[in-house]
Amino acid sequence: MSEHQVPVSTAACDAAEPVLATTQAWMQEALLRPWAVGLADVDAQFLPGAHASAAQLLGVYQRSYTLRLRECLREQFVATATALGPAVFDEMADAYLADCPSRSPSLHQLGQRFAQWMDATRPDAQLDLTERESWVDFMIDLAQYEYSLCELFDAPARDDGPWPSMASPDAALRLQPGVKLLQLRFPVAGYYHAVRAGQSPSPPPPLPCTQALVRKAFRVTTYPLQAAHWHFLSAMGEGASVESALQAVARWSGGSMFDTRRSWRIDVRALWIDAGFFELSDSLRPDS
Amino acid sequence: MGPPLGFGLGLRHQHFDYILTHWPEVAWFEAISENFMDSAGWPRQVLHRVAERYPVVLHGVSLSIGSQDPLNEGYLKRLRALADEVQAAWVSDHLCWTGVAGINSHDLLPLPLNAEVLAHVVARVHRVQEALGRALVLENPSTYLRFRHSDIPEPEFLSALCQATGCQLLLDVNNVYVSAFNAGFDARAYLDALPWERVAQIHLAGHQHCGTHIVDTHDRPVQDPVWPLFAQAWAQSNGASTLLEWDGDVPSFERLQTELARAQACAQGHWPSPLAEGGLDAQDPVVHGAAPSSPLSTPIGFLMPPVMPRSTVHIEAQA
Repeated sequence: MSEHQVPVSTAACDAAEPVLATTQAWMQEALLRPWAVGLADVDAQFLPGAHASAAQLLGVYQRSYTLRLRECLREQFVATATALGPAVFDEMADAYLADCPSRSPSLHQLGQRFAQWMDATRPDAQLDLTERESWVDFMIDLAQYEYSLCELFDAPARDDGPWPSMASPDAALRLQPGVKLLQLRFPVAGYYHAVRAGQSPSPPPPLPCTQALVRKAFRVTTYPLQAAHWHFLSAMGEGASVESALQAVARWSGGSMFDTRRSWRIDVRALWIDAGFFELSDSLRPDS
Repeated sequence: MGPPLGFGLGLRHQHFDYILTHWPEVAWFEAISENFMDSAGWPRQVLHRVAERYPVVLHGVSLSIGSQDPLNEGYLKRLRALADEVQAAWVSDHLCWTGVAGINSHDLLPLPLNAEVLAHVVARVHRVQEALGRALVLENPSTYLRFRHSDIPEPEFLSALCQATGCQLLLDVNNVYVSAFNAGFDARAYLDALPWERVAQIHLAGHQHCGTHIVDTHDRPVQDPVWPLFAQAWAQSNGASTLLEWDGDVPSFERLQTELARAQACAQGHWPSPLAEGGLDAQDPVVHGAAPSSPLSTPIGFLMPPVMPRSTVHIEAQA
């Protein structure tokens, strides 16, 4: 057994703090900003390897840090990478990772801020909204859509029911947690699915649109929404009942409650119940 | 830890459908903790189904046991919940750090091995074991660098850590081979110095030889020079649970089973046939020419969730 005697209290951590903290801070900087590392510093920290210099071996970590996270971003944003082209995407990915390094134990959140970052760093950010390049909007919308799919893939949702039926009263319906609403400037869902199917689609023309992403039985489906549907589902997403959400739609459209209720019952109710937009309110579940 | 589990494979999303359809003959599965602990979707559902039929072990890559950052208590709580849910046979991670100042490099970075760092890691292992309610199993990482202020050989460091905390070891024999080549130490002497009574699990994986260094790529079969180390490790650990890792260019499940069968044959004294010359199956291939330093260490692409097969668009465009 080892001759090394070690203290076991947490106070022991303090003893290592100055050296270890400095070492780790230095090495992390060497990974994140390899161009700023001096050869003398590398040799001061590390022994040479058996067959390579310390700088060459540090290079294994430095190259791998950038390339492996870039690869993960490319996997999370396949369609955005296709639309931008590999060289531009890689350049943007590297800049994003420099500005927004991962802070999560999981890689799933790696691209969480990518669309926001693209918006904040867009090349025409200094121009008026009306003068900005629409292709940039397309890329940002596409990235937002791709990350939303990733997010919903693993988010809490009602996958197994019990589901409401057509006979369920409106008062029993509540928006289920696996529904995400998006407002976009381009209809990017078709482009995304075509890319993922191995096709080479052209980017769609601009068309402001609203969409619902719905997860049911561990599958996410994208449904286009009309403006009234968006207002209805947004209200329900904030906790409104069906009746209150219909009133919100009527107020927004200036239409009558009679017509609004009729549209709900004829146009969307059955489709959305079947698609899994709703769950049963707690008090009305069979098991409650 | 209980009796050895036999020969197992990593649970990778590329094989989810195959496993759920075929329920293949594998003794156990090792799941990457971070791929499942925050999942409320398909990955966690798959893990639950797998855990109903196979023993499951959780293997983490983000515990960062050697970091100067405080331990992530939320992470430990979620890891404990998952381990309890799937009745994990044990929970493992690496003797490494992954980042400081809140940043996660998603790499398994080397630690200086000295008395001060040993004390630091001992204290943290105690806390982790308290939070998880079970012994932690720690793996020797593959390393490319040695710190000048390291003065304890890794086997001694691991022995002292086990003695002080009661933790167990996951011995990656490929990592031993990789680190030994890169640093110039004797891999067999490393094995001889290990506390074998603490070895709960063995890892096997493929690597890429770049001439001046070896990179732990996990993207090919186990290379021939690693098999003698495995044979020694398997014998000295009294047949510890053995797991084959293959994380880059992940092949079919059947191909993994073939590779696992080579490990089983080796354990039974039948030396695996040398791999064919050339290509991915070459014997400890040395990459010459263009980019000897290009392969990636610690592949993580396989950790990304398979979103697309579970996504459809209802209607092309808005009405």
